[in-house]
Amino acid sequence: MEELGSVHRYAAGALLAIALNQAQIHRLQLVPDILGSDDGPSMSNTLEDQGVLPWSSQEFGLLHHIFGYLKIDPHAWPGIEKTAEAADAKHHIGPYIRILQEENLETASKSSASSGNSPSSTNSSSSTGKPEKTLAALAKAVDAMTISLEEYAASRPEPAHARAVEDATSSEEAYKQNDKRSSKPKSASAQKSAQRWASMKKPLLDRAASSSDLSHKDTKKKTDRASAYDASSSEPEDKEASERRILVAQRKVAVLYELLTACVADTPEEKAGKSVLNAGYDARQRVALRLLALWLDVDWKKVAAMELMVAYMAMEAEKVREEERAASHTDDEHKTTKWQKWKRGGIIGAAAVTGGALLALTGGLAAPAIAAGLTALAPAFAAVVPAVGIGGLATAVGSAAGSVAVAASFGAAGAGLAGTKMARRTGGVDEFMFLPIGDNHQQGRLAVGIVISGIAMEAEDYTLPWEGSDGELERYALRWESKELIALSTAIEDWLASSAARELVKAGAMMTVLAGLVAALAWPVALLSATDWIDSRWTIAVDRADKAGKILAKCLLGGSQGNRPVTLIGFSLGARVIFSCLEYLAKKGNDASIVERVVLLGAPLTLDRQRWENARKVVAGRFINAYSSNDWILGVVYRSSFMTTGLAGIQKVEIPGVENIDVSDIISGHSMYLAKTKEILAALDLDSFFPIYPSKLEGPLDPDSP
Amino acid sequence: MAGGSGAEIDHIFKLLLIGDSGVGKSSLLLRFTADTFDDLSPTIGVDFKLKLLTMSGKRLKLTIWDTAGQERFRTLTSSYYRSAQGVILVYDVTRRDTFTDLSDVWLKEVELYSTNPDCIKMLVGNKVDRDAERVVSKQEGIAFARQYGCLFLECSAKTRANVQLCFEELVQKILDTPSLIADTKAFKKNLLRPDEPYTPQSAPGAGNCTC
Repeated sequence: MEELGSVHRYAAGALLAIALNQAQIHRLQLVPDILGSDDGPSMSNTLEDQGVLPWSSQEFGLLHHIFGYLKIDPHAWPGIEKTAEAADAKHHIGPYIRILQEENLETASKSSASSGNSPSSTNSSSSTGKPEKTLAALAKAVDAMTISLEEYAASRPEPAHARAVEDATSSEEAYKQNDKRSSKPKSASAQKSAQRWASMKKPLLDRAASSSDLSHKDTKKKTDRASAYDASSSEPEDKEASERRILVAQRKVAVLYELLTACVADTPEEKAGKSVLNAGYDARQRVALRLLALWLDVDWKKVAAMELMVAYMAMEAEKVREEERAASHTDDEHKTTKWQKWKRGGIIGAAAVTGGALLALTGGLAAPAIAAGLTALAPAFAAVVPAVGIGGLATAVGSAAGSVAVAASFGAAGAGLAGTKMARRTGGVDEFMFLPIGDNHQQGRLAVGIVISGIAMEAEDYTLPWEGSDGELERYALRWESKELIALSTAIEDWLASSAARELVKAGAMMTVLAGLVAALAWPVALLSATDWIDSRWTIAVDRADKAGKILAKCLLGGSQGNRPVTLIGFSLGARVIFSCLEYLAKKGNDASIVERVVLLGAPLTLDRQRWENARKVVAGRFINAYSSNDWILGVVYRSSFMTTGLAGIQKVEIPGVENIDVSDIISGHSMYLAKTKEILAALDLDSFFPIYPSKLEGPLDPDSP
Repeated sequence: MAGGSGAEIDHIFKLLLIGDSGVGKSSLLLRFTADTFDDLSPTIGVDFKLKLLTMSGKRLKLTIWDTAGQERFRTLTSSYYRSAQGVILVYDVTRRDTFTDLSDVWLKEVELYSTNPDCIKMLVGNKVDRDAERVVSKQEGIAFARQYGCLFLECSAKTRANVQLCFEELVQKILDTPSLIADTKAFKKNLLRPDEPYTPQSAPGAGNCTC
């Protein structure tokens, strides 16, 4: 812990608090249409104005255990919280980041203000050389981890391509951001949306010079990975300046690492008698970290690598504790005390309480099995961290195995096994199961992705559209009601193949329909009669989708994902499943602790403002609606609601916090989502905090923003 | 703060306490807000206190930011000057360096970071209870205040002498400065938040005001 000075730790805590609230504010704002000229209504920047409790507030319990972990003096907590809540909080970002760039001032201040430094700081200041070394070691480990992850991803042919594209876009974006920074954001001529963004990124602006250098370095690292390892350690060209820069970069990595550990760590904290179990890695914390990484100009990939490292550390610590527990176990021990022990450990207790009751329901998103994860990762780590060694790292950074009980994040271990079928018909749904996809299973990933198909010609269509890059997610495909869905999809296909439909397409009738200018009366008779028999199947499927969503929500609430942030992605009726899930979460009073991101593609959902706002509330990070105005099948099957209230899969959703992306040029028909989802997802760049794609995707990937 | 503050507030002011480490900024604030005196450890970063006050018929909400005097936090506190209506510069009458630092360091910070050009500055010499150890005379304080256009008072957080008065004078002066209260009034109508920044582009404020 001493690697970061007390000031740096203080700043880290404060930055996380600010990031939490800024992320929350971002969520409540109309997402600026990057290409379009429409300027959203100017929103006041305070949460309280909107009657919203800031995420930084104590009620959510997202911060205090982190402050505690960072050893920030409790006297300083209210100040941090107030700072984060203040309407002008974003002006504080710059100074707080700048202080991270300053040298450890502990020694200097000790001589001047000898009156009462905290004991911990006096200890650390005695040897300034060592902490720097550990910082460097940590940074190196993170770099190495990142590289090995990338190499691992690259070793798989298909995703490698997607990755490369992502790399290109993100680095391109970095340059663009640099440009933006250099142009003064206050000039009246600047675009309004750009201005707002720039002000969000003010801290970056504050240190444009140094960061651009850094990003240069970053891109270099990407191009020749082999030499990257040396680049960070042995390149003393312009001596002091570069050394300093490296140190600052290392410190930033360390800050993120500390915060990440603090988020995941379960600090035993007693709240008025009852010991409260930390909810684990909260979706809101992850979103805040994402924003913070952007502020600190640390590539999210590095954070993803850190997540793995922290997870590994947690598992290691847990293993040790498990062994101790086994050793000290005695039969005469009272049941309740054992229970408390478990609770403090945070692993099995949670499983027994939450898992047991819901076991039948969950269908089992397995929490990463600790032992399996250990063996899977251990060799990788041995190769990656030769300098410090695992134990060294653990004690060097945060002493995770010490007083802090780690890893409530792995929550309900073994609450179910991935792929377990639902035991029996539940909640009116015949089929509901999670299929693990991708290679990230049992590896201690700290983020879960659940992907849901909504069109299926055959069983494979539940998983096939989602193959490809896992990113940092442990992914599961939800297979639900395949009988109904396949029936519906085939019905639509069949009808499309029929001559009547083809005639209609040829005549361009569909386009007229979707122009939205035609009254219901003017609909082609042929179209209406032809769709009658789709309708009944459609109605059933919609009903099942809503029910499946409810079950999904129950799974998530039960913690079968292991208290890790979840990203939900679905197209067509799959999007409907997600929406129903979100609505159920909202109904149950969930406050964005579980769902991190949501992507709805071609969603058959009406634009009921209240319902969308409710659904938005339970999502901590980005909420994306991809729509295609060419998706006339959706228009047809949903014609009644489309005419009156509008339909999400066909048009923009003008709700604060919902990003819209026009995929009309890619999606010319509803079933195109089966083939194109992968492509669209790649363009969305879910890993970035801000949307960085144009509001309309054109042809094959062409992310050219203005 | 749960939003609904009950009674109508006329103005919300943001005040800032600055000065060297150990001059008694936090003690001063503690005396003012809670009327207690305690042996406090150095402030870490910033602290925040709220005080409701009624002066000349106006209901006021004071949001007071108490900054750390230690140099290691200097960078960090710079953003708290933003949109403050009043700044209290505190020195210790028994330590000359804390007095000279006000002009050498702190006033420059105010110049640099304050966004309210009319922001009221108040010079406060603390610890007058330790008269035997006094090294900065009252005359010097007065001269300083005159030179830099500050209000001036000597007080003691320990004996509570002049503490109340010091905040009240500052607030009174703010109330007497139309350019300062114009903003706070606008905010009062539009925003519940106490520390809304003074943003130039939204300066008219009246545009949103439906009264």
